[in-house]
Amino acid sequence: MDPFATLGLERTFKLDLRAVEKTHRELSRALHPDRYMSSGASERRDALTRAVEVNEAWRVVRDPIRRAEALFTLAGIAVGDTHEPKPAASLLMDMMEQRETLAEVRAKRDLAGVQGLVDEMTVRQQKIEAALGDAFEASKGDHDALTAFVAKLGELRYYRRFLEEASAIVDDLGAPS
Amino acid sequence: MTLLEIFDPKAAPKPIGIDLGTTHSLVACVQDERPYAISDCDFEVLLPSVVAYGPKGAVEVGKLAKARASDHPRETIVSVKRFMGRGADDPETLRLGPYKFLAPKEGEANVVRFDVGDRVVTPIEVSADILRTLKRLAEDELRAVGGAVITVPAYFDDAQRQATKDAGRLAGLEVLRLLNEPTAAALAYGLDKKQNGTFAVYDLGGGTFDITILLLDDGVFQVKSTGGDSALGGDDMDRALADVIFERFGWGEKEKNDPSLVRVVLDQARAIKHGLTTSLEVEAEIVAGKSVTFTRVEFDGLIGKLLERTGVACRRALKDAALKPADLDGVILVGGSTRVPAVRTYVKSLFGREPLADIDPDQVVALGAALQANLLAGEARDDILLLDVTPLSLGIEVGGGVVDKILPRNTTTPTGARATYTTQEDQQTGFEIHVVQGERELAADCRSLARFTLKGIPPMPAGMAKLEVTFRVDADGLLTVHAREETTGIEQNVSVKPSFGLDDAAVERMLMEALDHGETDLKARRLAENRVEAGRIVQATQKALAVDAELLADGDLVRIQAAIAALEAACRADEPSRIHHLIEELDLASKEFATRRMNRAIARAIEGRRVTDVEGGLSTH
Repeated sequence: MDPFATLGLERTFKLDLRAVEKTHRELSRALHPDRYMSSGASERRDALTRAVEVNEAWRVVRDPIRRAEALFTLAGIAVGDTHEPKPAASLLMDMMEQRETLAEVRAKRDLAGVQGLVDEMTVRQQKIEAALGDAFEASKGDHDALTAFVAKLGELRYYRRFLEEASAIVDDLGAPS
Repeated sequence: MTLLEIFDPKAAPKPIGIDLGTTHSLVACVQDERPYAISDCDFEVLLPSVVAYGPKGAVEVGKLAKARASDHPRETIVSVKRFMGRGADDPETLRLGPYKFLAPKEGEANVVRFDVGDRVVTPIEVSADILRTLKRLAEDELRAVGGAVITVPAYFDDAQRQATKDAGRLAGLEVLRLLNEPTAAALAYGLDKKQNGTFAVYDLGGGTFDITILLLDDGVFQVKSTGGDSALGGDDMDRALADVIFERFGWGEKEKNDPSLVRVVLDQARAIKHGLTTSLEVEAEIVAGKSVTFTRVEFDGLIGKLLERTGVACRRALKDAALKPADLDGVILVGGSTRVPAVRTYVKSLFGREPLADIDPDQVVALGAALQANLLAGEARDDILLLDVTPLSLGIEVGGGVVDKILPRNTTTPTGARATYTTQEDQQTGFEIHVVQGERELAADCRSLARFTLKGIPPMPAGMAKLEVTFRVDADGLLTVHAREETTGIEQNVSVKPSFGLDDAAVERMLMEALDHGETDLKARRLAENRVEAGRIVQATQKALAVDAELLADGDLVRIQAAIAALEAACRADEPSRIHHLIEELDLASKEFATRRMNRAIARAIEGRRVTDVEGGLSTH
């Protein structure tokens, strides 16, 4: 499945998500099962299949990691745990340190400290996303040019996991936003 | 209502919306675009969700049943919704209550069974008795009832939803859709106020709590996130009070096992709670000569923990929607328990704004359900659409009892996911798959939905067979599973044996038993159903022919019209299977035309044009 084609989008990482959301909504208007309550069985099935596809496509496209995965896959580059290059030692060291700092501020129940780490990591995440956006644009779908950037996807996964953990800690420390 | 309608013997069936609540239920319909709740002969719209089973098959529902509860506590089922979709050994059955439960016999489905004297009933049957009463009420008002939308808590899991749908079928209703209660409430508010923005719906009912964050934009009600607790509500407030009452009188296990006393104490607790909504202090005589006094401050202290639990769910829902309380345009209160002053104060502090409660919180869900039923029956403006989400993540148990999440919570429905599995051993011909719902890491901590075994995989070396399992969650939030072996292309429709609930055959059997004359009744019912379906499809096809005539290919029109004529002729006769066959023929004849229409609708949506604009604009009322 090509989620970009399903939503009528070009295969690109840099997207105006607000516009895509609008397209998703209009497609839902056209395909949602509620619209086909009076239709015959095959039409109902057909609409349902397509509505599911549209929702799946939107789920992929709206999320930077899934979006990058889809773009790599469409360019013929396998992604996922076993296919991606091993993360650089420097990244692993760095993440380990970040984790330790997170554990320390957690132990101190230092909410501002956690928030500081979250902000820092969010900036790093945005930078990688921007770099990926540029890479996909510059490569024009070229297999070899893109392969060099698969490692960035791995980096993004590390940041995501860190942010999820930090978010759970914020919940734990019982902070209403 | 005009005189003409009252005397019209062939009134067209009208769609209805039903709020099947923990404490009470009600039915609503739409007249001249306004939803209203249907009242009984005493002008009351709320039917107590209480069913009393008497000797010789007697069944009493509502007020009369409620009156019997203290004398016949075991035969009178109160708050049955809390038992829907739960297993016989669910913790809910162990809580303070007067019932006698029966364990399932060998080979019987794992569902709650109440021993009500001369028979045994499941929550599905009890709910069906409530639904039947509402259906009759609606028939008295509307003469003929069409399809029904039944509401469920947004946080209901698959088993609870399936149980509700089965109850609808058993009551002889055509269930058009299961609709989430907060979404229904938002529909009632949204259509009333014609306002765009982001809203939180805080729905605290008798037995369930939901929080839903949704965006209202241009007629689309898009749920962003939902959360809650399907065993948290006004009943728990009553139990908290009841526990204190037992304690104050020094009552212990003996008294707690006296069903009549438990019923009386729970009822009195509820009365005290209601009293404290307007008074600061309430005194109640529990049994002759034994009175208790509660102040509102004491009560607020008792329910503080319950409210905190709702707060946790609210914060998580906001976070899932990536919003802060200040981003909201309004907070809507739904459910009778939001009348409790402490609840309102809590919600206000949680969201930092005064919540809205100007539509009766007891009725708003049913009103929204009626609006949705009307939309689905094609009797209203077609620019309104509800986009709901899955409340819980869906996963599969993998090695070590860990859950592999395949569909995260808050995914817009309908949705689907695929997972590929491979054989672990040489010549392996079967696979066991365990589907769970929930957010926890371990399958044992999640809710078990179903276990099934895929069989008939051709013997191959380990790792060679590749099984693609497809999960689909429909607009009712219900799951279906489909499996395919990729190397051979062997398809398998998996029959999912629900972990909690009845399988299709059991429901069908109950349906047969519920009908007095078996075969003939069933045939009459099929005939009626098929005629309704045929009528609907003919109407929809004719509308499509009129609107999209330019998409007809050579010969289409003649073929489709011939199929319509044949179907209409069959409807005048009384052979249900022939009608069914001709519905399929019409379906086939118009298939390509339908595909072309759908393709065009998709192309237009991608171009950013509203389908409704193209089809001649919104109907302006």
